[in-house]
Amino acid sequence: MLSIQHISKEFGPVKALNDVSFDVPDGQILGLIGQNGAGKSTTFHSILNFITYAGQIHWQDHTLAATDFDQIGYLPEERSLMPKLTIEQQIIYLARLKGQSAKVTRPQIDDWLQRFAVKGTRKSKIKDLSKGNQQKVQLICTLIHHPKLIILDEPFSGLDPVNADLLKQAILTAKQDGAAIIFSSHDMENVTAVCDRLVMLRKGNVVLHGTLDEVRDQFGKTELFVTTDWSADRLATLPGVASVTSRHGRRYVLHLTDATAGPAIFDALTQGHYIEEFSQQPPTLDEIFRLKVGEEHV
Amino acid sequence: MSKTWVVTFETYLRQVKSWSFLFMILGPFLMIALTAGISYISANSNRSSSQVAVISETPALRRGYLAQHSDNINTKITTVAAAKKAVKANHLAGYLTLSNDGTRLRGDYHGSKSMSSGLQAQVKNFLTQYQQVQNYQTANLSPKQQKALAQTPVLKQHVATKTGTSNLAKLISFWVLVTMIYIILITYSSITAQEIASEKGTKIMEIIFSSTTATSYFVGKITGILLMIVTQIVIYLLGGWAGYAIAMNYAGIHRLIVDHQTLVSGVFHNLFNLNLLYLLFGVVIYTILAAYSGALVAKAEDASKAAQPVVMLGMLGFFATFPFQNNMDAVIVKILSYVPFFSSYFMPMRIINGTVGWGEQWGSLAILIVATGLFAVYIGRQYQRLMLQTDSQSLWQHLFKGFKH
Repeated sequence: MLSIQHISKEFGPVKALNDVSFDVPDGQILGLIGQNGAGKSTTFHSILNFITYAGQIHWQDHTLAATDFDQIGYLPEERSLMPKLTIEQQIIYLARLKGQSAKVTRPQIDDWLQRFAVKGTRKSKIKDLSKGNQQKVQLICTLIHHPKLIILDEPFSGLDPVNADLLKQAILTAKQDGAAIIFSSHDMENVTAVCDRLVMLRKGNVVLHGTLDEVRDQFGKTELFVTTDWSADRLATLPGVASVTSRHGRRYVLHLTDATAGPAIFDALTQGHYIEEFSQQPPTLDEIFRLKVGEEHV
Repeated sequence: MSKTWVVTFETYLRQVKSWSFLFMILGPFLMIALTAGISYISANSNRSSSQVAVISETPALRRGYLAQHSDNINTKITTVAAAKKAVKANHLAGYLTLSNDGTRLRGDYHGSKSMSSGLQAQVKNFLTQYQQVQNYQTANLSPKQQKALAQTPVLKQHVATKTGTSNLAKLISFWVLVTMIYIILITYSSITAQEIASEKGTKIMEIIFSSTTATSYFVGKITGILLMIVTQIVIYLLGGWAGYAIAMNYAGIHRLIVDHQTLVSGVFHNLFNLNLLYLLFGVVIYTILAAYSGALVAKAEDASKAAQPVVMLGMLGFFATFPFQNNMDAVIVKILSYVPFFSSYFMPMRIINGTVGWGEQWGSLAILIVATGLFAVYIGRQYQRLMLQTDSQSLWQHLFKGFKH
C-alpha cells in the first residue's frame, strides 16, 4: 500500500501542496484530479523522491528507497524516449534499469506491441513513430516489468477513444495483478470508468476524497433525468426545480434545489401513468469538478 | 548486471556505433591513407614527365652513367630523335648527351627547363670521375703518383650526440604528450557535455531516476565515456603499431629509425611512465567537469554551449605550458604541477625534464586522484536536482545554488 501522510511542499512563496493525505491500497486504482497547477505532478514527484517535502510517504510500510525502484512503473506527463533507439532497444534498456533482464523482456515485446496496437515493428526507430505510437511504447516501458506501484501522470492525454480503451484495459489488468495504481487525468469519464477512489486537489489542498459513490453522494441526488411531453418552461414550474436543461427532443435534466423534492415531482409528472424515464442521480464527476473549480472563483 | 553497468554499456554502445565516433576514429587513418595515395598517384603521373634520357655514341659511357644513377632516367630512349619527340610530347623533361673526343668528356643537356641541382651534381660528379681516370691514363702516371694526387682534405664534425639526442627527445616528448592530452580533453569534453546536456530537463530522466539512483546513473555515464576514450587509444596504439610494422619494410624509414634509435627510445621512455597516469586522471577529471557543465545548462537546446567552459579551461592549461617549456624551474610551474586540471599538463613537463623527484610526482598524482574522487561525489549528489531542473537560470546561478545546496 502507498500511504501519503500530511505532505506539504513550497516553491518559494507558492504553496504547491498543503497537508495532503491519502492511501492507495494494493489492487486499487486512485484517480488524482484537479486543474493545471493544482499539485498533481508535485505529488508524484514527492512520491518518487525527485523533490524534498515535509510529511511522510510510505510504500509497504517503509520509506521509498532505491531498493523499491524495480517495483515502480512511472509514466511522466510529457512523453520522452530516446529517438535513435529501436522500439526493442528502448524497451529492453528501460526494463533492464528496472531489474528485468533482456532475456525475460525480449520474448514479451511482440505481445505488448500487439496488445497496444502499436503501428511499427520491434526494429522500428522511435523517431519514425507517430506521437501516439511513441506514447504507447512509453506505456509498454512503464508496465512491462509488472510493477507493483504504478504512477501515471496524464496517461490518457493525446490518446484517441480506441487507444484510451486499450490503456484502460491495461490498467485494469495491472489492478487484477494486485498493483497499487495512481493516475492523474482531466478526463472525468476515464476517471469514472477505472477508479476505485479519487482525490481532488485545488491549489495544493485536498478538496474531495473517497470512493466515486461517496464523493458523488456528498452532493445529494439533485439531478433528475426525465423523458416527457412537458415543455421545459412547464417543468421549471414544478416545486423544488431550480433550472431545466434540455438534452434532446423530449429528454431533460431537472436541477433540484433539494433532493427530497423527487417524489412530489414524480407524482406530478406521472399522475399515475407510465413514464419512459425518471432517474434521480447525484451530479456527475464532471459537474462536481466544475462545481469545485467554480467555488474557487466565487 | 548492476544498473551502473547497464547505463555504462548503453552509453558506450550508442556512442561507438554512431557515425561521428566512427569518423573520429577513422579520420586520422583516412587522412594518412589519402595523403599517401595522392602522393603516390601524383608521383607516378609526374614520373614520366620528370624523367631524362641519357644518350651517347659511346655505349660504355652511357652504361657507366646508368650503373651509377638509374633513378628518374628513361632507359628506353637511346637516340636524340626519339628524345626530342618525347620532350615535345611532354613525356620527358629533357635529355643528356655524353660524348668523349679522346681527351675531354662533354655533357650537353637539352630541355624546356634547366637541370635540377641534384641532377647537375650527379652529372658533374660522373664526368669528373671519368675525366680523372682518362687524365691519369693520358699522363701515364705511376700508381704512387696517382695515389698522391688522389689525396683529399678531411672535415669531421665532433658533436656530443648523447646530450643533443636527449634534449631533442625531451622536446618531442613534451609536444607529443601535451598535444595528446589537449586533443583527448577537448574532444571528449565536448562529447560528454553534449551527451549530458541533451538529456537535461527531458522526461526520460524522470523515468531513469525512478529506476536507479542519480549517482549510479552518473557513474555509469562517465564510465561509458571513459570506455570510449580507452577504445580510441587502443585503436590508435594498434594502428600505430601496424603502421610502424609496415613502415619498417621500407628501407629508408628502417634506416632512419635505426640511425636514431637513442632518440626513439628516449621519447618512448618519456611517454610510457607515470605520465600515462596523469593523462588518464586528467581526462577523468575533465570529463567529470564536462558532465557537470552539461548538467548546468538551462535546457537541452543549449547542449552545444555546454562544453565551452571546459574547453576554455583545457586550452588555458595547454597554452600556459608554452612559455615555460624552457623554464621548468619557474615558481608558477611548480605550483601548477600540483593544481588539479593543470597538473596533467605541468607535472608531465617536469617529469620529462627530470627536474622533479619521485615524492613530488606521486604527491601531485595523489592530489589529482583525491580531487577527482571528491569532485565526482559532489556532482553525483547534485546530479538528480540539476538534471530535473527546467528553470531558465543561468549556468552561474545554478553553480551558486549548487554550492549552497
